[in-house]
Amino acid sequence: MSPELIIALFAAAVQAGTPILFATLGEIVSEKAGVMNLGVEGVIALSAFAAFVVCHLTGSAWLGLLAGGLAGTLLCGLHSLVCQVFLGNQVVSGLALTLFGVGLATFLGTPYVGQATEGFGKIAVPLLSDIPVLGPILFRHDTLVYLGYIAPVAVWFLLNRTSLGLGLRAAGEMPAAAAAAGLNPQRLRAFGVLAGGFLCGLGGAYLSLAHTHLWTTGLSGGRGWVAVALVIFAFWRPGRAVIGALLFGGVMAFQLRLQASGTNIPSSLLLMLPYALTVIVLVFSAARARERSGASAAPAALGVNIEPEG
Amino acid sequence: MDERKHTGSPLGTPHGARPDARTDIGTDLGIGDVLPQVRLTGVTKRFGNVLANDGISLSIMPGRIKALLGENGAGKSTLMAMLAGRFKPDEGRIEVAGKAVDFASPREAIAAGIGMVYQHFMLVENMTVAENVLLGQEGGFFLNPAEMRRVVGGLAERYGLPIDPGARVGDLSMGERQRVEILKLLHRESQVLIFDEPTAVLTPLEAEALFAALRAMSAQGKAIVFISHKLEEVLSVADEIAILRRGRIEGEFLASEVHSPAELARRMVGRDVVLEIDRDEVSAGRMVLDVKHLSGEGLEDVSLDLKRGEILAIVGVAGNGQQQLVEVVCGIAEPQAGEVSILGKSWADFFHSRGWKGELAWIPEDRAGLATGRGLSLTDNLLLTTREGFAHGQWLERGRASETTRGIVRDNDVRPGRIEAQAWQLSGGNLQKFVLGRELYREPRLIVAEQPTQGLDVSATEAVWQRLLESRRTAGVLLVTGDLSEALQLADRVAVMFRGRVMGLFPVTDTAQVERIGSLMAGLRD
Amino acid sequence: MNLVIRKREESLGWGVLVVYLGALALAFCVCALLLKMSGKPGFGGLAILFRGAFGQTYALLDGLVKAIPIFLCALGVALSFRMQVWNIGAEGQFALGAVGATWAALTFPGLPGVALMPLMLLCAMLAGAAWGAIPAALRLRLGVSEVISSLMLNYIGILLLEYLVFGVWKDPASFGFPMTAEFASGGQIARILPGVLGKLHWGLLACPVAGVAYWVLLSRTRLGFEIAAAGEGERVARYAQLPYGFLVFFVMGLGGALSGLAGSIETSATLGRLQPTIMVGYGYTAIVVAWLARLRPWAIAFTAYLLAAFRVGGEVMQLELQVPAAFGPIMEGAILLCVLAGQFFLTYSVSLRPSPKAARPAPPANDANDAAKGARS
Repeated sequence: MSPELIIALFAAAVQAGTPILFATLGEIVSEKAGVMNLGVEGVIALSAFAAFVVCHLTGSAWLGLLAGGLAGTLLCGLHSLVCQVFLGNQVVSGLALTLFGVGLATFLGTPYVGQATEGFGKIAVPLLSDIPVLGPILFRHDTLVYLGYIAPVAVWFLLNRTSLGLGLRAAGEMPAAAAAAGLNPQRLRAFGVLAGGFLCGLGGAYLSLAHTHLWTTGLSGGRGWVAVALVIFAFWRPGRAVIGALLFGGVMAFQLRLQASGTNIPSSLLLMLPYALTVIVLVFSAARARERSGASAAPAALGVNIEPEG
Repeated sequence: MDERKHTGSPLGTPHGARPDARTDIGTDLGIGDVLPQVRLTGVTKRFGNVLANDGISLSIMPGRIKALLGENGAGKSTLMAMLAGRFKPDEGRIEVAGKAVDFASPREAIAAGIGMVYQHFMLVENMTVAENVLLGQEGGFFLNPAEMRRVVGGLAERYGLPIDPGARVGDLSMGERQRVEILKLLHRESQVLIFDEPTAVLTPLEAEALFAALRAMSAQGKAIVFISHKLEEVLSVADEIAILRRGRIEGEFLASEVHSPAELARRMVGRDVVLEIDRDEVSAGRMVLDVKHLSGEGLEDVSLDLKRGEILAIVGVAGNGQQQLVEVVCGIAEPQAGEVSILGKSWADFFHSRGWKGELAWIPEDRAGLATGRGLSLTDNLLLTTREGFAHGQWLERGRASETTRGIVRDNDVRPGRIEAQAWQLSGGNLQKFVLGRELYREPRLIVAEQPTQGLDVSATEAVWQRLLESRRTAGVLLVTGDLSEALQLADRVAVMFRGRVMGLFPVTDTAQVERIGSLMAGLRD
Repeated sequence: MNLVIRKREESLGWGVLVVYLGALALAFCVCALLLKMSGKPGFGGLAILFRGAFGQTYALLDGLVKAIPIFLCALGVALSFRMQVWNIGAEGQFALGAVGATWAALTFPGLPGVALMPLMLLCAMLAGAAWGAIPAALRLRLGVSEVISSLMLNYIGILLLEYLVFGVWKDPASFGFPMTAEFASGGQIARILPGVLGKLHWGLLACPVAGVAYWVLLSRTRLGFEIAAAGEGERVARYAQLPYGFLVFFVMGLGGALSGLAGSIETSATLGRLQPTIMVGYGYTAIVVAWLARLRPWAIAFTAYLLAAFRVGGEVMQLELQVPAAFGPIMEGAILLCVLAGQFFLTYSVSLRPSPKAARPAPPANDANDAAKGARS
């Protein structure tokens, strides 16, 4: 492979990794607050559609992005309602959310299939984009990729350097302790789920506004599930989520390249790669977690609903 | 201290539980020239038809340590939950520093200067000491970890409660965790500090340190409430004692008015209590458990033996290897080094060919999440350890299992009496009676009982003790307990554990050794 | 007024029905609203769906045909859910079952039906069981969450099926369509009474057999008891000396075998050959069914039929109203969300209590919990 091709591949990895990064960060925020959301796949699908439609109708990519985020928030609000108010099983609610979200995106999106939207264009960052190798890999993308550079830092900052983040983590580790400290763990959890939904929604918006620039069905393509797995891989840390997202972006970009290059490897086998990699990554992280036994990285009260007293 | 009137307490008389007198006393102590920090008047709380607190009147004075004494279920925790803003009273008034308050949330109670140290610490193990102390009190949206550590470190130093503010709470000992809880309250400048069974997890030395801290804080003008059912402790640390029984204040008096733990016990229970239980001697039989030089997994060279007809108590502060020992004896963990033989067989042989009947029964400390399945019916819970007795090949005789369950429920007075009830619907005492009944149904020759009476009221405790003593006729009992008096009541011999070692093993009749148990528990040999 | 929420001591009895009907009604309202939003008649659309599902004999029969794979998959899912093992890989196990059966059919086309059919079913069940055993092994050996691994295996299983059908197994005579050659007649499950019972085929027999076996297993055998008891968590399982690892393998393997069976029946009865179009999400519907039915076999049978009928009706509505096929999963998702929320009322009672009034005499409580929990009704 020529150096140009390798650089192009890396650049494509950064792009393909961005939506996964947003979704992974979103799920980290939600799980840090103690709520497992297996509906990410549905959230991504629906928000990709919402972003597309709004951008298509208003012509504003930014409004589209906002719509994607809000659609994610809204759908996760449903999860929050079912799990926090009605104490539904988080696993099952998440699955239902995926069915509902993916279905809704396809249903509402049918009239728009094949239609294009402008979305976000590529902007080369002045000066930085001229750095050899790194410039083309990192700094000749659309705005959302740059937003993706900031997002992990912002999430890390939120979780570790703000009182809101401290409370949110307490709600995920031990809701009773948060309550005894005068905080409202239910509200903190809801915030985590909704904010996480917003981030996942940004990931979904990326798919239609910056990745394809047109609407097709099945846009989410399992990325939501990859994100759920990457949270475990990342040990719930935003920094490691970046590594995971890049890894997956790389595999997806590689697989697309290979298909486009007219290889004689059947496409079904190539398409398996990301899913197989997900399983491998899970195995790898489980082994790592075992090595560092003792303090498990998962929030202690993850998946456990707060039951009413009395 | 001020000269307040404490005389005229009708409960000063030995047989004194007179419900009609309670309101008089409740307010009596509050009258003086110092304003009570907290005053409760006629506070009532119901859950369904259950009256958890019935017209409670109580004054909590600055600079005084008030002990609140009562059995489990007497309504202590409900009362405290109302003070902490978790429940709202149905009736009555709560005043803080003379002003009526109506807490809508724990936050408001905290703001009013009321702080709680819960029995089960409200600490996030995965966070640092500083984060825990400042949780909910960060004083700004943005956090500066270095500054947080400085603030908490300074606070710890000022009150003489040394701790590393950057340490992860999960890595701390129980005594240190309690210090974190106290620091939380001190940081919030709570004026009322409520301690719920604070010594349950402490060594005698740590408890002494805590008492010193309590006295120091009280000398600084804090009002302190000390909830306990350990009578000696209450007598040694409290200035005033209030007794809560069946949701009511049944007596309030000065600690100096009480002369002995027995007198206090009588006032607490409302009748003479058998603090001494009859135990007739049972002659020792064959060896049922022999542990030689067991090491690994937190254990160091543990040797002990147990014969039929004998109760051997393992005492020590929780987390000093008792659990590891139990797990080896009960077949959960394999012995790493050393020898364990059970009923004459080696560990491997015994657990390889283990039968359900006539062998080993384990009554774990966690009866709701380990010994029983919360969502299983009583019949299913019976089958949990006895299913082999009801199975023909794969076929399960459910009818006979139900019949047996009914018998166990009846014989052990387990309430409610229906066998379809699920484990979560039973109170701790009833569940324990059921578990004990089930395990004894297996006619074990070796019984491992962990904290069998923790959280039980006096009558349930008596029942459990009675059954354990009876079972000596056919079995040897390994009793793991943190309650020294329980150990001395029941056991023939006592082994003290500290950091995975047996610090001493001696008969309870050896008074010289028994005297030293406290220091042995803290790891001091001399 | 205060909202009082308390755990129920007694089950709700007929109230359960009310809760379920209420939740269904809410879900249907949501669906009608969606139809309305996309410019179709709302409740009118649902009426078409119901008529399509229950209006004609052949529709009822069609529902029954679709209920067969859903029921079998749902039993498999319910088995693992019973143990709190979250096997959501029924879809992939279904695919592997189809692949296993097809392998047998294509490899031994000369065998007579009495030998070929059992062989196909056996291969299907083995393939499904193996696919289900992978997440079990990953969880037990490495602590990998079975939720994600079993789900990823769905994607991989479906792609594997596609790989085979697009590649090595493609029928040269199919004019490039992705499908295998038609199975020999011994490898096809016959219809029961083609003239009278439409597409209903002998695969239906598998349902009562599997259903009764499931019921007997869980309510009458020691193994079934151990599965339910292990659902109380690993700690209880360890205390009770339950063979936890074996049980995880057992429920995942048997669940996989049932889904695999469903896959083979679907392949050999409705199509007579393997085609990617057999993957229509029965495995996911099965999860919805298992949860709605609260894991009870009779309820699973009923719910499987209901959701299968909705699928049939959905197809009619799709044709008449030009509604996208995605309406099906939306409906299933909405029903599941509503029922999940509604199940709250099965566990908890909610009542409005007037603000504190004068005290009424009440018996003194010696042990608040004791008395509350001891209350019988």
